[in-house]
Amino acid sequence: MTGFSGGIIEALPYLFAFFVGAMIPRRQGWAERVGIGVVGVLAVAFVMGLWPEAADAEATQAVTRADEWPQLLNVIVFLPIVGAVAILFAPRQNPKLLRAMTMGILAADFLISLGLLRANMTTGWHFQYVTEWLPTFGIRYHVAIDGISLWMVLLSTVTTPIAALVSFGSIKKRTKDLCFAMLLLHGGMLGAFVSLDLFLFYVFWELMLIPMVILIGVWGGVEKIKAAYKFLLFTMAGSVLMLAAILYMVWAHRQAAGFVTFDYLAMSNLVLPRTAATLCFIAFAFAFVVKVPMWPLHTWLPDAHVQAPTGGSIILAAVLLKLGTYGYVRFCMGMLGGPAYDRAATLAGVAVGGGILYGALCAWKQTDVKRLVAYSSVAHMGFVMLGLFAATTSGIKGALLTMINHGIATGALFLLVGVIYDRRHTRLVSEFGGLAKVMPVYAAVFVIVTMASIGVPGTNGFVGEFMVIVGTFVSSALGRHGSIQAVLATFGVILAAVYMLSVVQKMFFGPITNKRNENLPDMNVRETLAVAPLVALIFVLGLFPSLVLDTMDSSVAHVIDKYNSGRDSHRGNTIDELRLLNPSPKGDDPTSYDHNYPVPPKSDDDESANAASRPLSTAVALGQGVSRGVAR
Amino acid sequence: MGMDGLFSIFPPEDFTLLCVILGLPLLGAFVNGVFGKRLGKEAVSLMALVAVGGSFMASCAAFFMLMQRQTETEAARFVWHGWKWLDISGNGDFQIPIEIAFSVDALSGGMALIVTGVGFLIHLYSTEYMAEDDGFHRFFAYLNLFIFSMLVLILGDNLPVLFIGWEGVGMCSYLLIGFWFTEEANAVAGKKAFVTNRIGDFGLLVAMALLVWHVGALDWQGIEAGANNLLTPIKIYPLGNGVPAWLPDFIRGPLTPEDPRGVRVTAATLVGFALFLGCAGKSAQLPLYVWLPDAMAGPTPVSALIHAATMVTAGVYLCCRMAAVFVLSPATMATIAIVGLATALLAASIAFAQNDIKKVLAYSTVSQLGYMFIGIGVGAFATGFFHVITHAFFKACLFLGAGSVIHAMHARIHDVDRSQDMRNMGGMRNFMPITHLTFLASCLAIAGLPLTSGFFSKDEILFKAYTSTIATPQVSDGEWIDRSTQVTWPAMQAWTPPEDLGRWIYTLALLGAVMTAFYMFRLYFRVFWGEFRGWTIVRGWVAPAGGHHGHDDHEHDSDEPLDGPKPHESALQITVPLVVLGVLAIFAGGLNAHAFFHSHLFDDWVAPVLATASSSVGEIEGAKEMMMPLLLPGIGAFAIGVGGAYWVYVMQRGEPAASFVEKVPWLHRIVYEKWRVDELYEETFIGAVDTLGDMAVWVDQYVVDAVVARVTSFAVAASGTILRTMQTGRVHAYGAVMVAGLGALGWFFIAPQAVVTVLADDDSGVYSVTASPGLGYQYRWDEDGDGELDSDDFGDKARVDVQLGRSEVRLVQVEVKNALGFRSIEQIGLFRPQRDGASDGLAGAAQEAKEAADSAAKSQKALQDIQRVLQQAGGNLPGAGKQPAPKPVGGAP
Repeated sequence: MTGFSGGIIEALPYLFAFFVGAMIPRRQGWAERVGIGVVGVLAVAFVMGLWPEAADAEATQAVTRADEWPQLLNVIVFLPIVGAVAILFAPRQNPKLLRAMTMGILAADFLISLGLLRANMTTGWHFQYVTEWLPTFGIRYHVAIDGISLWMVLLSTVTTPIAALVSFGSIKKRTKDLCFAMLLLHGGMLGAFVSLDLFLFYVFWELMLIPMVILIGVWGGVEKIKAAYKFLLFTMAGSVLMLAAILYMVWAHRQAAGFVTFDYLAMSNLVLPRTAATLCFIAFAFAFVVKVPMWPLHTWLPDAHVQAPTGGSIILAAVLLKLGTYGYVRFCMGMLGGPAYDRAATLAGVAVGGGILYGALCAWKQTDVKRLVAYSSVAHMGFVMLGLFAATTSGIKGALLTMINHGIATGALFLLVGVIYDRRHTRLVSEFGGLAKVMPVYAAVFVIVTMASIGVPGTNGFVGEFMVIVGTFVSSALGRHGSIQAVLATFGVILAAVYMLSVVQKMFFGPITNKRNENLPDMNVRETLAVAPLVALIFVLGLFPSLVLDTMDSSVAHVIDKYNSGRDSHRGNTIDELRLLNPSPKGDDPTSYDHNYPVPPKSDDDESANAASRPLSTAVALGQGVSRGVAR
Repeated sequence: MGMDGLFSIFPPEDFTLLCVILGLPLLGAFVNGVFGKRLGKEAVSLMALVAVGGSFMASCAAFFMLMQRQTETEAARFVWHGWKWLDISGNGDFQIPIEIAFSVDALSGGMALIVTGVGFLIHLYSTEYMAEDDGFHRFFAYLNLFIFSMLVLILGDNLPVLFIGWEGVGMCSYLLIGFWFTEEANAVAGKKAFVTNRIGDFGLLVAMALLVWHVGALDWQGIEAGANNLLTPIKIYPLGNGVPAWLPDFIRGPLTPEDPRGVRVTAATLVGFALFLGCAGKSAQLPLYVWLPDAMAGPTPVSALIHAATMVTAGVYLCCRMAAVFVLSPATMATIAIVGLATALLAASIAFAQNDIKKVLAYSTVSQLGYMFIGIGVGAFATGFFHVITHAFFKACLFLGAGSVIHAMHARIHDVDRSQDMRNMGGMRNFMPITHLTFLASCLAIAGLPLTSGFFSKDEILFKAYTSTIATPQVSDGEWIDRSTQVTWPAMQAWTPPEDLGRWIYTLALLGAVMTAFYMFRLYFRVFWGEFRGWTIVRGWVAPAGGHHGHDDHEHDSDEPLDGPKPHESALQITVPLVVLGVLAIFAGGLNAHAFFHSHLFDDWVAPVLATASSSVGEIEGAKEMMMPLLLPGIGAFAIGVGGAYWVYVMQRGEPAASFVEKVPWLHRIVYEKWRVDELYEETFIGAVDTLGDMAVWVDQYVVDAVVARVTSFAVAASGTILRTMQTGRVHAYGAVMVAGLGALGWFFIAPQAVVTVLADDDSGVYSVTASPGLGYQYRWDEDGDGELDSDDFGDKARVDVQLGRSEVRLVQVEVKNALGFRSIEQIGLFRPQRDGASDGLAGAAQEAKEAADSAAKSQKALQDIQRVLQQAGGNLPGAGKQPAPKPVGGAP
């Protein structure tokens, strides 16, 4: 077969997808046709590109770790941040240019981030880039992804352009500030997902807080200032505790290993005294749980969502909440597996009772549809946390997939609520009714997204929840409570149908009772294009979840490994000692998760350097009051 | 092309014909759903019919290929493996891959034929029935999607794939019940169906989790192979940590089971109940049947296809599929039979009083589904499934006939409720001969006229209910000795049903058969016999100007007399399906006519698939001879029911029924109102959840948010207020505070600080204790731990090294005197652990187990030593009481 005809045959599925996609819109107009055609092509490319045989073939051919461009993550993270700065120099009077610049940057970032998919997600970190940043304090610029953060990065780069696209349709004032905030927020989120240095992570974690507060506080609803404050204060309270824990761990690491570093790899290699470990866990978990949010720290979420503009809500739901769950996997389970194990059953109870069931009940009773979706987030995130607490392979994988699914489905729901809000400037369910008659496309999309949200199999929502339920049922971390919690969580599946279908029925079915709804226009081109990728993803991930799940294999195995060794060392640590879990990490093996493990700085004073590098096992050197060999 | 050709194209291990069967309806759904509006009605009908028709042909081909391969003992099975869907964790976190895979065997092949065949006829019917509807393309998109989902349900090779179809048909049902969504009631009925089904799906999800845990497989072959693992006992009460210890004894006592192992059932029973909950939801059994009658709000072809012939029988299909699991639990089997019986009787009783033609058929469907579950419950899986097939024919025919009648009524009556009210019908046999004959045929079949299909399927169920027995499985459990009480508890035994259960089921099911015959012929006589009561028939009647068809153009008051044309027979697209189904309703029984013809075609066909389950099912002695004696009451039931209906509604023109209603109006009312089960649920379960929801919202607002947000902010504000009062700006006050601070600093320097650091070396046992230096400090020690200071004089010795043996405990004291002569005493408890390297957490290692145990005992002793020493010290040393409680920590676990 000649190259050309072979190329044609290879291109056929893409051409077909483009053609079908382009035929779907009923309206005339090339922008919508091309847009949906491109979505179709991307969906096909996603499936075909990640198909096991294709991935294997490619792995043997070209893509090895050496081929990974180490600067790729830097480009992805800093493109939006540099773009945000560039926006500052663009003219305020020209909103079109500002929007085009922002969309261009976000689109470019998305396309570049697709490059991450080319890597074969084998054991170890990928696209790792390490350089000294503040060597005096042992702070490094250390970014890398594994099978977990890969999908978080992609989730951000997919949903942020959608959020921006929607925002530009409904927000007309202070465009420059909006663009700046969006880009900075994007950069901050991406940075937090790829950071492997606790200091760097903290910087990004706080960096994204401010643009989000601005998004709510400037373009929000009536009570925007209150909601923005509430969001800020809740999150800050968690962050500050986390900062304290980070500083303690850095200090403890210096005691154990003799040099200062903020690196995640070193921290996850640390066995802390029992009390200290527990306190650190509480501090970290508090920061993340606020962000997730878990009961009873969830009350900022409905307020923030209701007041935030549509774009803000999409980012908040799709990505920002995921930082909480991602943080829990990466830092709580990765560094502090012992206390995490000790508290898993209790916290899982909270996730089931306070998240899945209570969140669903609250959602059912809401009169504001956006508030309803916000409470449904609490329920979905309850599933995520439950899967993480279960700490079985399918529990964690299911939780990670549910994170992605929730980003897609709930992001789409917020987008759709925004559509009707732009038309009617109200979100009260009672204001609507019979919308399916006047807005058939809108109704159809809403029903599809609803089905994904309540986890009808075939859509993405089911796969994650099913894996979490089974993973919880067989969990050893939850012991004899696992099966009860799994059954109760399954109850949440019923409640999800109750609250989502109630709102669908009240909004879309029945006669049109409100005269103002009689002539509402259906979804416009911009809105259709924004929601199309999410709808495509609902089915792609629903039918081919293993394309995503298989890339997580080694990373999830690594997390479970860390978690279990943390559990064992914590359990065995009955005399409160401080030491390194693995005294000789394989820092030079790229297939190890210890690649680029920080080394002690070269010192002129050899003796002190040697002394420092020797792990001190005695408690006395730590100044511990109660320690080994000492009873006071 | 011959069979061999087919086999070379579609090898059994890569049976891509399944893709054709599944793919065509999906394509139809996509094309009609997305492009339907632009395609026009003809193209939409063509697409839909070709999709289902093609799927039917492919199913036929698959069926013939199965016939070719299947032998008497070995089941033929053709599989197509799609792709890996996901992995789930089994017991011990080993990964179980779940594939998107489909398979066809005798059971699913037969069901696929019914679904696509009856589905095709109903599609054809709908092209005429729905011709005037604006949502034509939407209707066919949903209908195609339903066929696809139903096929996924049937052909799925494992439970999760079945679950895709299971919820998929539920979703299509939701969409189709609410097809005319501008009516609030239809949308509500759709939601009710979905949510009720979800309660069943909850059971199915739990069953899957249990199967993963105990069997470690979710595909049919894996489940069947590992089913015996389900015979392990599981504690179901008390849950979790047990009965809480803090409860007072008089509550705790009754709550604590006598058997310390708790209340236990086999895993098979749990799985069986969970699965049956799913089946009860989908197949409208007690207590979840309430959605099905309301589901009749959908268009009539939908009622025929989804809510009579196919979807609602999915529960029966699943029971047959999982028969190997169900037979392991006689308790589950008995429950299924009893629930089926109760549902059959309850639904039949409600059908007596209904006037809506579709409601009667709906309750009849619920009742017939009950019969199918009686068959399943007594172990007659093939017979129960055969009733699925015959029921698909006659009930689809009945619904389509009812639709034909309703269609005719729409000539003048457009209100949905009144056009379906049989009080407005009557004498239809004169106007609609084909509809009448086919309806009669189906009524005879469902009532059980000998030699019709319903007779052979239903009476076989009754026969099996009387004669079948389920073998008691051997639970894998041994006797257990409670060490604390020395009581020996026996091994668990599986529950066995009482012996005369079968006889009771037979008798009551016979009563149900009488009821069935009566209410079906009540319906038949009132619709097709007597005088037409809809409107006054006027020859050459012309429609007045304005809308003719359409659903909401003009409403009539019920008492306003109407005139109109003769009701007319329906078009060919409607009558052809009726005739086909009517013929099948009469003759399909021949496939399994045990009674007169000794034909076992159907039983033999599915026997290899059900072989594992059948081995656990036996029959009572002399069953063969009972065939005829048990059959005669069945024929009698038919005669009594039909005769009774004829006497009441034809000979007496409904007089006895009317006078009965007058005599006991309350009974009629409560039956007419469906025993008020909906209201009961509304008040209990739904009301409870509703209240919980209100409570959750209240708690969220006034407790959680109040505590987390408002109390915190109040605390911050309050502390701010308090601190603010100190910032008075008066220099005097600041000066006073400064002086107080200086004074405190001075005291710090004056008081001696007896602070020590200990450098421990467990290996050598040398512990060096260093007292901190200070201004003019002098020290004296108690090194040997005898409680007396070693010398009366103070010296400069700031450090002592203490040598301890293993597990030795010593209380060292140091007294410090500063330049001003103030003194202070500090005590230091030292303890050397038993072992070296204890810090490595190796305490659990097997070879050190004994040592560890010794060490534990010793460190226990060491702890007591320390406490004793400290108590002594506290008695004669000032300041010792201030010491924190000793906290010795050692290498022992």
